Amino acid sequence: MRSEQEVNRAVEQYADTVRRICLVHLKNHADTEDIFQTVFVKYLLHNAPFASPEHERAWIIRVTINACRDLLRNVFRRRTVPLTEAVEQPAPPEKYRAVLQAVQELPGAYRDVVYLHYYEGYSAPEIAGILGKNVNTVYTQLTRARGLLRQALGGEDDA
Amino acid sequence: MREKIREAFDSVHAEPELKAAARQAVARRAARRHRPIRRLGIALAAAACAVVLAGGWLYATPTVQISIDINPSLELGINRFDRVISVEGWNDDGTALAQTVDVTHLSYTDAVETILASEPVETLLAENGVVEIGVIGTDTDRCARMLENVRACTREQQNAHCYQADPDQLAQAHECGLSYGKYRAYLELAALDPAITPEAVQDMTMREIRERIAALSERTLPEAADDSAAAAAEPTESGLQQKTPGHHGAGHHGDD
Repeated sequence: MRSEQEVNRAVEQYADTVRRICLVHLKNHADTEDIFQTVFVKYLLHNAPFASPEHERAWIIRVTINACRDLLRNVFRRRTVPLTEAVEQPAPPEKYRAVLQAVQELPGAYRDVVYLHYYEGYSAPEIAGILGKNVNTVYTQLTRARGLLRQALGGEDDA
Repeated sequence: MREKIREAFDSVHAEPELKAAARQAVARRAARRHRPIRRLGIALAAAACAVVLAGGWLYATPTVQISIDINPSLELGINRFDRVISVEGWNDDGTALAQTVDVTHLSYTDAVETILASEPVETLLAENGVVEIGVIGTDTDRCARMLENVRACTREQQNAHCYQADPDQLAQAHECGLSYGKYRAYLELAALDPAITPEAVQDMTMREIRERIAALSERTLPEAADDSAAAAAEPTESGLQQKTPGHHGAGHHGDD
């Protein structure tokens, strides 16, 4: 088990990354909070060393995406929260709302590849490694996602 | 599009309360991980202490006394595991002998054999001394078994007498400054000679006491002497039941 100091360092370092992945997948603030706790508790209990900071970052991303999928996949999830907690994610700044909304409205599998490619800067083979997908599938999803975003945001394409 | 997406996601940051909730969850989980180990450790340590204390108490508590009287008078405290846990001399010779023979933690049979083979005892026995060995305890069956084993240890001795007794008079014997065996002989002698004192008996050899009892018994009423001897002895005694004048020097073995 990792030390709490180590986990606190990871929270500082990767909280924004986890938050962005949650924004891509989740609408509920309470779910985001759950994912935060799940990811960093898993980090606490993950004993295997990371080969590099990049390895650690990729691990956090993969665990966060899987945690979001597990949360959404649980069809038996009958989450009841007080009305005061049933709030949506805090709204992003007006300037970026359209872009983020366009990404959020992509099919689930496309959102991850768009985020990982356009924001995190991973190549298709790297994304395939993180998501456990075929590289060609990633290429296909990227192409289709790009088309959908072009439609939503107005035509430019710099991929 | 890449730049727009980058800028949009750059504007998203984790709220401080999300980080705080994650840290709290981690702290709770870390504490839960440690607690059972600590509790288990404490429980195991407590159990180990209890076992050690209980074992120590069981080991250190004498349940049977073996009184060995020749002239040296010794009492061995035997625990429930048949081990000698105390050796106490009840006269000067007994104290000296207790200091020279190391029988603590030996089995009681080894202890009896060691004492009988010690130089002062061997010398006395070679000079036709009388040794009386009593097994004194409340558990009659166990004492009977121990008595048989003690008798087996004294099989080579001509003048050894073994007996079993209840511990009722043990405290009285100790109050008089006598081992149980010598106190028992003192009671027999006192029945014939009321002037005799425990102090006088303390440093007499068992042969001297027995010879005196025999002499007084012959001079007074032999039947009465037998009765008094029987009265002085515990009901469970076995070794002295057939005691008669001349028995001690006549080469009878203790398992008579």
